Amino acid sequence: MEKELGNVVAERILPPTEQEISNEIDVKVKKYMRGEGANLEVLKDKKLKGQLSVIEDLYGKSAKAAAKVEKWLMPSEGGYLETEGLEKTWRIKQETISHEVDILSRRNQHDIILPALGPYSIDYTSNGRYMAIAGRKGHLALVDMKDLNLIKEFQVKETVRDVVFLHNELFFAAAQKKYPYIYNREGTELHCLKEHGSVLRLQFLKNHFLLVSINKFGQLHYQDVTTGSMVGSFRTGLGRTDVMQVNPFNGVIATGHSGGSVAMWKPTSSAPLVKMLCHPGPVSALAFHPNGHLMATSGAERKIKLWDLRKFEVLQTLPGHAKTLDFSQKGLLAYGTGSFVQVLGDLSGAQSYTRYMAHSMAKGYQIGKVLFRPYEDVLGIGHSMGWSSILIPGSGEPNFDTWVANPFETSKQRREKEVRSLLDKLPPETISLNPSKIGTLVAVKKKEKKTKKERDAEEEAAVDAAKGITMKKKTKGRNKPTKREKKKHEIIEKAKRPFLHEQIKEEELSRKRSRLSEEVELPKSLQRFAHKKTVT
Amino acid sequence: MGEVRQKKRKEKEKSTGKKKHSKVFLKKNKSSDKRRLNRRGPQLAPSLRREVGQVKGDIESDDYEFSDCSEGETFPGDVYEYEEAAPEEESRKNRRYDTVDNYDYELPDHFKDEDVSSDDEEIDGRNGKGNLMEDSDDDDLKKDDGSHARMLQNITGMPREAFEGKKKSNIVISEAYQESEYNPSRDVLDGNGLISIEDLLNPLQGKPGYSMLRKQIHQTEKKSMALQAPLPKADQERVERKVAYEQSKKEVSKWEPIVKKNREASTLYLGEDVDLGYSTVGAIASEFKPRTEIEKKIASLVRDGKIMEAHRNDGSKLLELNKVSFEEEKDRQNRLAKMRSLLFRHEMKAKHIKKIKSKTYHRLLKKDRVKEASVQIEMDPDAAKELAMKQEFKRAEERMTLKHKNSSRWAKRILSRGLNAQDEGTRAAIAEQLHQHANLTRKMHTLKDSSSSSDESSDEEYSDDQSADESNSRASKLLEKAKEKTLKALEDGEEAPNSGLLALPFMVRGMKKREEAAAEEAKIAIQEFESLSKQLNNSETENIDTETNSGRRTFGSMKKSAPEPRKKTKSEYYGDTDDEDDTEAREAVEYDGDNNKSSLFADANIDSDILCEDSKTHQNSVFKSFDETVRDPGPKTTHEVAIFASGTWKKVKAKDLEKRVDSKPSTIVSSKPELQGQVTKETMQDVDDQSDSDQELMVDGVLSSANNESYELPSQSDLIRQAFAGDDVEEEFEKQKEEILNEENPEPEKPVLLPGWGQWTHVQKKKGLPSWMLKEHELANKKRQEALKNRKDANLKHVIISEKVDKKAEKLYTKTLPFPYTEKDVFEHSIRMPIGPDFNPTSAVGALNRPEVVKKSGVIIKPIEFEEVDTHQKVEEHKQKGQKQKRKNGKTNQGKSAKKMKKGGA
Repeated sequence: MEKELGNVVAERILPPTEQEISNEIDVKVKKYMRGEGANLEVLKDKKLKGQLSVIEDLYGKSAKAAAKVEKWLMPSEGGYLETEGLEKTWRIKQETISHEVDILSRRNQHDIILPALGPYSIDYTSNGRYMAIAGRKGHLALVDMKDLNLIKEFQVKETVRDVVFLHNELFFAAAQKKYPYIYNREGTELHCLKEHGSVLRLQFLKNHFLLVSINKFGQLHYQDVTTGSMVGSFRTGLGRTDVMQVNPFNGVIATGHSGGSVAMWKPTSSAPLVKMLCHPGPVSALAFHPNGHLMATSGAERKIKLWDLRKFEVLQTLPGHAKTLDFSQKGLLAYGTGSFVQVLGDLSGAQSYTRYMAHSMAKGYQIGKVLFRPYEDVLGIGHSMGWSSILIPGSGEPNFDTWVANPFETSKQRREKEVRSLLDKLPPETISLNPSKIGTLVAVKKKEKKTKKERDAEEEAAVDAAKGITMKKKTKGRNKPTKREKKKHEIIEKAKRPFLHEQIKEEELSRKRSRLSEEVELPKSLQRFAHKKTVT
Repeated sequence: MGEVRQKKRKEKEKSTGKKKHSKVFLKKNKSSDKRRLNRRGPQLAPSLRREVGQVKGDIESDDYEFSDCSEGETFPGDVYEYEEAAPEEESRKNRRYDTVDNYDYELPDHFKDEDVSSDDEEIDGRNGKGNLMEDSDDDDLKKDDGSHARMLQNITGMPREAFEGKKKSNIVISEAYQESEYNPSRDVLDGNGLISIEDLLNPLQGKPGYSMLRKQIHQTEKKSMALQAPLPKADQERVERKVAYEQSKKEVSKWEPIVKKNREASTLYLGEDVDLGYSTVGAIASEFKPRTEIEKKIASLVRDGKIMEAHRNDGSKLLELNKVSFEEEKDRQNRLAKMRSLLFRHEMKAKHIKKIKSKTYHRLLKKDRVKEASVQIEMDPDAAKELAMKQEFKRAEERMTLKHKNSSRWAKRILSRGLNAQDEGTRAAIAEQLHQHANLTRKMHTLKDSSSSSDESSDEEYSDDQSADESNSRASKLLEKAKEKTLKALEDGEEAPNSGLLALPFMVRGMKKREEAAAEEAKIAIQEFESLSKQLNNSETENIDTETNSGRRTFGSMKKSAPEPRKKTKSEYYGDTDDEDDTEAREAVEYDGDNNKSSLFADANIDSDILCEDSKTHQNSVFKSFDETVRDPGPKTTHEVAIFASGTWKKVKAKDLEKRVDSKPSTIVSSKPELQGQVTKETMQDVDDQSDSDQELMVDGVLSSANNESYELPSQSDLIRQAFAGDDVEEEFEKQKEEILNEENPEPEKPVLLPGWGQWTHVQKKKGLPSWMLKEHELANKKRQEALKNRKDANLKHVIISEKVDKKAEKLYTKTLPFPYTEKDVFEHSIRMPIGPDFNPTSAVGALNRPEVVKKSGVIIKPIEFEEVDTHQKVEEHKQKGQKQKRKNGKTNQGKSAKKMKKGGA
């Protein structure tokens, strides 16, 4: 008691700044504790109780250390546009921003006009350093975004519909006219993935090393890029679509379809995990919040909907049509239609997205893809006349973990990381709606009983197999026909035996059950006697 | 004198009567008292005591005045005593006692002890004499005592009382009067007539040690209780056990905190304080010191300075000796080569010998070969041909050599001797040989004719076909080939063999008949082929035309002349698969033959509706652009405009579209300002860009803008349909959901009348279904309803969450609770935190992942030792303690190792 009192007093006495800090850390500790500990009071096993309490203490310490690290070693905070008075954030133009920011950031505002080779789609590496661009008419290029240096540019002379980086900038896959291809940084064609067919959209699961594609016929393919094996391939059965996005939280692939439905897939089952009707018209775009709980969809009926994926309910419905959608690392939502880009933000923190910024391109540019650059406050836009990038303050994660993604990676670090990530590669089965449930207890359903027909069929098959056995030719009197016949008979009997055993067991069980039911069905007046009997 | 005797007798009687008691109680008490006194009193030096030993014995014997029989007897403290008529030492039955000739306090031999004599009245006089003697002896003793005390005093220099104390207590107080009825003793007068301890104590008053003695006696009196009878054995043992248990419990419970601590510890450090000694051979070797004689000798020799130096100097010389002369080396190599070649030859020989097979083996082999060949002839025309060739060769050989025409030496010899003179075997052999000759030389017609010529020609023609017409379909090729073959066969059939067996008249007749039948058949076949090829040719000719134009083989162009007239109106809302054009059908077949779904797949995308709330450029335009994917380039008559409507798409015939283009857009365009014109242009471009045209429009990466006229506007009805598409979608989704629910939780089958059972009597019909069936059905229904209710998506109308069990993922989940856990909740909470280095700061990873037991391998784990454990100690300290322990251990290890080194040195 005294100690507790002492603690309370100490808390009160803490100076305000420290108090604030401790409060802040407490919040973070709670985050790192990942839920509450078990209620140990219930436990009867003292040994287990002791051990668990020790472990729980360790967890607490670890969380505290992590919270402190976060507090003191990740000091940079993301900024936002703030306005005074009647000014609105969405009225602020890129030009005005460029006047305020430093030179390095200013370099991130640019338009590259390449009118000849059609609408461009873009992709960034996970560390945000490199960008791959793919022009519809066969233009593929790799750009180092740090110094805006063109690493490689080449022309494949056929339609390219999508491009996606594999685990690092060394490899990227491009969905071309007939098949997707994998190229390396030098533009050398490494693989032609014929099994995928003519792919409309590509995605890559970094933790599972799976390349996912959806082709013209609505077939979904999962290919393991480390072994080359096709992990899963199934028809969506929902028609042709080029709306596909991976949920970064759990690796589930979501596809939007013309029927207004969004289906979520995993590589180990041919039926969708979840199928939800999001829009009355076709789904035109789809994006996931990095925390995996929020999904944005846009339909042809000019509505953008935000979904809570834990409850599968609509959180918010916004007016507007989006050809492409993307969430930033900090949760800003960008959508592009025609030549206009708008960024929504959850500014109040109550999961209600409101307008944050807007940007309109030159008239007539058709935006094909918007994509936030990781670890930078930059939004990349691929459009019909090239690609451009604009500044969206507060979109990127300001603190990067070099173990996760390092924008300043050296080649040696990249190699190290490649090996590490290969060692940590997750098997495709781990993809599920809630990956945090892995390892928990799941009651296995009992096998259903075989029907009599099935059993009979099995028995017959077994007997046939036994009959088909060719006998050895034995010598010295053991090859007599009588003996052979006997042996044959024996073999058949042997094959039958397990089935008979099973039958007997079942019969016994049913008999027991019937007995039990008889006991239960005693008249009420007699029941107590029966009960007594069993007691004594 | 008489009085004295009387008294004596009484005393004696008393002594004999009380013998037991007095001996038991008094004496015992006294002896213990005395011992105590001895201890308490002034102590003698041990040497003196040894000297005094004898005297002491005197004193002791004096103490037991009443019991003379106790002389020289040592009482082992027994309660009970064996009573005998005569004392043991007298009767000499049991000679355990040393017989001593004469003690100075002992009576002379001739003197008879009163005790022994049974009859005292008989020998009065003697008694008197004895009494006298006793008296004198008593006096003597007293005197002796006195002198002895004096002597002791002289020697020790201690007050006399120290030695006399005990004697005083033994003073016999004689009564003033004779004991009789009239003159009772004082005891009797007092009451009980027994001597109490106080009686005995009183005279000691004032003597040193008295108070102590009295206290003790008081204590004994206070505490004194009647001795109880011992408990029965079982009870006694139980009590003992109980006590033992308590004791052992206390002993054991002191371990409890240690055990508890160990059990709750997340990590146990075992055998930490054990020093494993050296880890390397080098370390051991460096510490080696010679111990035995030999070792020392060797060491002295090895480490001798001279030798070392000599070795150092000599090393280079030794190396020089390693040089070998050129000749020697060459010799050696030669020798080796010789050996190798010998070995090789030997091996080859062995191989050869092994290869040689017996005659029977070869015979059997030949037999097999012949059999195989015969089979092959029947099966394979090529093989037959080959065989024929071989046969021909053999025939030629035979004709050349005449090997089998009795030309061998053996045959000649036999013939010269005369065939008749030979035995049957030889004759048969000769006959056989002749037969073989005949066989070999016989001409073969049949095989040769049919096979060689026709095959060649067909092959040629086949190649000709290929060169002439590549694009011919396989079917037509086959047809042609078949036709030609039949024709050839007919021609061939007309040739008749001129010689041989087949030339015989009856054979010829038979052959003719057969040929006629075959010719008829062939004619029919040819007719068929012709009709088929005509059909094919119709299409082919056109194909060829296009081919010549393009120079490439394209299947797509076939469509151009496809006979099927396609009149499709917009009214077909759900695009039927049957209506789709050839290419599509082909594609559908290509990918999965999934016709149902193919109706769903859309060929083109809706392009973005250009709508921006904020952009002022477009003011609520109704305008929409559609992307089109043009499948077939050039002058294709149909374009497919995909319109999303309830998940299906449809095609609009080009004519219709053109019409629409003529009629509607003109109005729209006219009504809208130039802006839209621009937009349309752009969308047109977009259409171009997005087209996945099969024809390669690009030349060197530059697009040749070819078909801009493919842009279409959707009709009004289409727009309306699109606007109201939602209703359908929802319904459809509900249907899908129901289907999936039915699939995952199938509806129970409705019970049906049992066939056979009472059918002809209509029992079933009358009674209805048996109740158990109905019950079962109901139960199943209920179960299903419950299952549906328990689904995650039960309350979500627009969501289907699959509840299928993923078998591959099953291994990632726990099937049963692991052992110490009894509750699911606790288990799941305990595994909620990742413990890897990716998720925890490095300071915590070690502690989180420490193994349960830390132990050096190869170390014997010692039983736990007792140590004081603070039960309220917290775990935090625990860990620190562990670390400390480690450090300590390190220290101790060092110390120990040092010790060991010393040991090693010793």
